[in-house]
Amino acid sequence: MATKYVGNRVKRTEDPRLIQGLGHYVDDIKLPDTLHVAFVRSIYGHARITGVDASAAAKAPGVVAVYTGKDIGKIGGVPCASDLPEMKKPEFLVLASNKALFVGHAIAAVVATDRYLAKDAADMIQVDYEELPAVTEEVKAAAGAPYVHEQFGTNIAYKLTAGEGDIAAAFRSSDKVIKQRILNQRLAPIAMEPRGVLARYYPGEQELTLWSSTQIPHLMRTQVALMLGMPENRLRVITPEVGGGFGSKLNVYAEEALLGWISMQLGQPVKWIESRRENFQSTIHGRAQLGDLEIGIRKDGTVTGLRYNVFADMGAYYQLLTPAIPTLTGLMLSGSYKIPAIQINVTAVFTNKMSTDAYRGAGRPEATYVVERAMDLVAAELGMDPVEVRRKNFPAPNEFPFKTATGLFYDSGDYVLALEKALKNADYKKLGEEQKKARAAGRLVGIGVSTYVEICALGPSAALPAGGWESATVRIEPTGTVTVLTGASPHGQGQETSFAQIAGDELGVSIEAVTVIHGDTSIVQYGIGTFGSRATAVGGTAVFVALQRLKEKASKLAAHLMGVDPATVKFADGRFTSGAKSMAIQEVALHAHLAKSLPEGMEPGLSATYFFEPKNFTFPFGTHICIAEVDKDTGEITLQRYIAVDDCGRVINPLLVDGQVQGGIVQALGQAFYEHVVYDENGQLLTGTLMDYALPRATNCPWMELDRTETPSPVNPLGVKGVGEAGTIGATPCLVNAVIDALAPLGVRHLDMPLKPETLWRIISGNSARSA
Amino acid sequence: MRLEGTHELHAPRDKVFAALTDPQVLARCIPGCESLEKQAGDVYTAKLSAGVGAIKGVFQATVRMADMRPPEHYRLIVEGKGQPGFLKGSGDMDLTEKDGITSIHYVGEASVGGLLASVGQRMVESAAKMLAGKFFSALEAEAQK
Amino acid sequence: MIPTPFDYIAAKSLDEAVALLGKHGEAAKILAGGHSLVPAMKLRLAQPQVLIDISRIKDLAYIREEGNSLRVGAMTTHYALESSKRVRVVSPLLAECAAAIGDVQVRNRGTIGGSVVHADPAADWPAAMIALRVEMVCAGAKGERVIKADDFFVDLLTTAIAPGEVLREIRIPLSQGRTGQSYKKVRHPASGFAVVGVAVNLGLDAAGKCANASIGVTGAAAKAFRAGGAEAALTGKPPDAAVAAAAAAKAADRQDMNSDLYASAEYRRHLVEVTARRAVLAAVGAAK
Ligand SMILES: Cc1cc2nc3c(=O)[nH]c(=O)nc-3n(C[C@H](O)[C@H](O)[C@H](O)COP(=O)(O)OP(=O)(O)OC[C@H]3O[C@@H](n4cnc5c(N)ncnc54)[C@H](O)[C@@H]3O)c2cc1C
Repeated sequence: MATKYVGNRVKRTEDPRLIQGLGHYVDDIKLPDTLHVAFVRSIYGHARITGVDASAAAKAPGVVAVYTGKDIGKIGGVPCASDLPEMKKPEFLVLASNKALFVGHAIAAVVATDRYLAKDAADMIQVDYEELPAVTEEVKAAAGAPYVHEQFGTNIAYKLTAGEGDIAAAFRSSDKVIKQRILNQRLAPIAMEPRGVLARYYPGEQELTLWSSTQIPHLMRTQVALMLGMPENRLRVITPEVGGGFGSKLNVYAEEALLGWISMQLGQPVKWIESRRENFQSTIHGRAQLGDLEIGIRKDGTVTGLRYNVFADMGAYYQLLTPAIPTLTGLMLSGSYKIPAIQINVTAVFTNKMSTDAYRGAGRPEATYVVERAMDLVAAELGMDPVEVRRKNFPAPNEFPFKTATGLFYDSGDYVLALEKALKNADYKKLGEEQKKARAAGRLVGIGVSTYVEICALGPSAALPAGGWESATVRIEPTGTVTVLTGASPHGQGQETSFAQIAGDELGVSIEAVTVIHGDTSIVQYGIGTFGSRATAVGGTAVFVALQRLKEKASKLAAHLMGVDPATVKFADGRFTSGAKSMAIQEVALHAHLAKSLPEGMEPGLSATYFFEPKNFTFPFGTHICIAEVDKDTGEITLQRYIAVDDCGRVINPLLVDGQVQGGIVQALGQAFYEHVVYDENGQLLTGTLMDYALPRATNCPWMELDRTETPSPVNPLGVKGVGEAGTIGATPCLVNAVIDALAPLGVRHLDMPLKPETLWRIISGNSARSA
Repeated sequence: MRLEGTHELHAPRDKVFAALTDPQVLARCIPGCESLEKQAGDVYTAKLSAGVGAIKGVFQATVRMADMRPPEHYRLIVEGKGQPGFLKGSGDMDLTEKDGITSIHYVGEASVGGLLASVGQRMVESAAKMLAGKFFSALEAEAQK
Repeated sequence: MIPTPFDYIAAKSLDEAVALLGKHGEAAKILAGGHSLVPAMKLRLAQPQVLIDISRIKDLAYIREEGNSLRVGAMTTHYALESSKRVRVVSPLLAECAAAIGDVQVRNRGTIGGSVVHADPAADWPAAMIALRVEMVCAGAKGERVIKADDFFVDLLTTAIAPGEVLREIRIPLSQGRTGQSYKKVRHPASGFAVVGVAVNLGLDAAGKCANASIGVTGAAAKAFRAGGAEAALTGKPPDAAVAAAAAAKAADRQDMNSDLYASAEYRRHLVEVTARRAVLAAVGAAK
């Protein structure tokens, strides 16, 4: 089958509307008589709420209603989909009534005729607090009182041990066990578009419609229906344009249910658009793991075992997947290496902070960072080239599917191939020589390497809390246009383009004739959503298989219409041909709808629906290399080069893949050098604006020299693996490794992120104790 | 946040201490103080319209004095609450006199919360120092009266 | 991110703006480019009841040479200063400092007048104002008065401008002879403001020695300050690397350093030294 689109750099069909400002985000949807909601949120990390006086606010101009924790009795708690043995389960009500457990915890909602009046009235609400001691440090939290949730008598949310192989024996048989404490600091996802909800209830139809900036419209429908105790089929969730999510919108938040409920109370549409301050306080954070790594090695660099004892900061409550994130860290601790024994011991703790949850990579960047730092620690310990340590521990291509001691089967891979390509692109040998010269001249230049593997295409349903499949419906309309309905709900990734490419090639039609529809639960069949680098591998496969089914039917109908033996019909370039006879697929579609002449037993219409259940995850991989220089005077870092070779299986659209890799590397840059959500010891959020929380900017980004290897995945017929998170996962350790390598002559082996210039300056100037 | 500083006042210690514990004088010296009322014992409630430059906020505050050892020492405990958040602080004030000059040395801990903490962290320390400076120079003028 | 209610008045003349300020008193604020005031209002940290917009007043945005000085109207945008060819020739420090502010959008709206009156401790302009020994011309109900840069920056977000006054013009004395200027800053990775910024304006004599030096430092303390120790250490000496380093080491003398999440007081003090050294050497380079 000729591929006109798949594999080519097709420009995003989404972009013309987006760059002209013609897209519709939640806030662009204006319904008549809409009321606006403003929240009163806790200014304490931990406090007893001794009184809420809303009397002045209730009388303020434009105010229609004020709700506090006492008014919302029947709304169910914020859902958490994951469940682990002996996990403590706090109930997270949509408004706090007795205690506020984190800064930003919603206490009251004011509804007014406009956004300004709502905010003015919210400021009039007097909340009386009795401040309680806050729990902010993981290790202290695990040790004992004070407690975030008194009723549990502990801050430990759960403990979990996973992994295979005899770790104690592995360490005993090692020549050396290297230990290192490693921090994956708390990060804020900061999607460009904050969250937002518009809710409209029609009392007559008893139908509630929620427009929400989310990654998971269908799961939200199910969960909000449960929270509100309403029939799921009377709730419609519409996801208009979504301005980024990075996992933060893979959630069902208090506001979604509450807005729906308020609209039902008032019989009018209600809207809430999150401010950036609220976004910092009450949209999930990511990472926040502090762990102790132990890695056993032989003198030749062979890794014998790896143990990671990690404290995972849950925040005050669970959001949708909060407790599950550290389990993903556990799964990925083998990295791209053969490690016979692996153990993770998770101690998940509650703290007086916003919940953590999935943030681009969700548990996997944490693991990759630990493993890739470990490889460099091994190299430093043995005086080996970090590349050689890695190469030594790779599984060979013929060992795939490769079973790890974390219980995974890596689908396919050729790790040496990607490594060699990256080394060649970087001219690694020359880099080493240049570094020697630079060092001799007193400069602090470092080379960073990371050879990552990641887990994508989440995933088999058995491994996910709420279904790991994805759905697609494809139709050819009577006039010949093609409609693709996907349950994956893209939010910036470009699936309107890539799915149209698949349909265009499979049906031999122009992509202009294809419309990809997503994000409306009343139009699209149930689906799971876009997260975990799954949309193409799982959702795209559903589209692909549905297209095959559609073609099978069309082919039979074409044979019938042309009066030929179905076995003789061939399909190419949009036409069914048998001998001299030929028919365009569009004609066939029209006949399918007119239904004047159908083969015996054939249903009218031309559409096919497929729900694809993947048998395994996919495992993309790659090698990243970068060169960093540290300014001896100020500790500031400059990146001189960035080289990446990624293997995400078969590529549908190189332009989209490059975009994902670049965006991922930039977010890694954020974690490595800039970002850190800081709460003080009272639970006050100190990085509450973009004036204080540093995101990487275009001017901070290195030129990225991107390249690929293509190892098809055997898990799906498209052979794709996924690439949405790879950049973040591969790049974070690469960047940190480079800076640590730059400081290696000063005896530095490890530093915690973000690598702030002051920290580096203190080391360079001998102003601080060196990290061992 | 730890706050520490020394201010030298050209006035005798007795007068400085008396001024420091006189609600009317305090009301005139505390920057932005709109009202100060004595409650029980050494507890005062105040309405402060505190601010620096264009940035202003109204606070309801309680001020408590403890460990009084006239004229050399007392402990000041302030708690304020307002739309921009809250502030809390306590500090030990030690007064010494030399050649007619009274030195007030203060060491204390202060914390802020809410908006002040989340958007003002880069400036709170400077703001606290500035307000303390204003307070002590006003106090000096009062003690010289 | 929603301000409290306020009235908006677009003043048509400077006199009207002054009169309106007199009428509304503390409740009113002048609105220039709005790039410091409006963000503070949106956070409700500033809650003025009346905004007096001076951006529509004719003849408040200009760059003119008069005799030995450059006259810059208070409403002149950072971008206008950055992009003026003439400014680059006669007062390169102004152009360099302007270019170091925020991003293009900010520079297109933000004004030099608004920046100096707001006196953010991390703003860039104050360093240059001190280094250039400018004079601020303020209009009030009783007429105009002139405040020297050294007297203008009083404390954190506080200047010598009186409540009823409007800054009308900034007068920049133009240096004669072999002069060199430079502005160097360490950017805060989030805000882009100066963690530390140092502006240097120096003159060399015929022998190549430093005849005079004027150095302003911003970002480091509660307000911008003059690095007097560093100036003295440069004056009368050949400004080579060693002299520059010795002078830079004195740039933060007797100053209390800010500390925040990004940079401790100790690190800031060090950054003042490094930045001052780099700025002095760049200024010397420019003078040659
Ligand atoms: C995203 C962003 C990034 C920025 N980055 C930087 C940076 O890197 N470096 C930097 O220095 N600045 C930076 N700024 C601030 C910017 O330069 C502001 O424009 C400037 O500080 C204030 O100028 P304005 O004209 O906007 O003043 P406004 O915000 O309108 O006014 C500021 C204050 O000054 C008063 N005022 C204004 N003009 C007068 C006048 N003529 N007379 C009397 N009072 C007056 C106002 O009443 C107000 O109190 C940034 C701002 C933003 C939004």
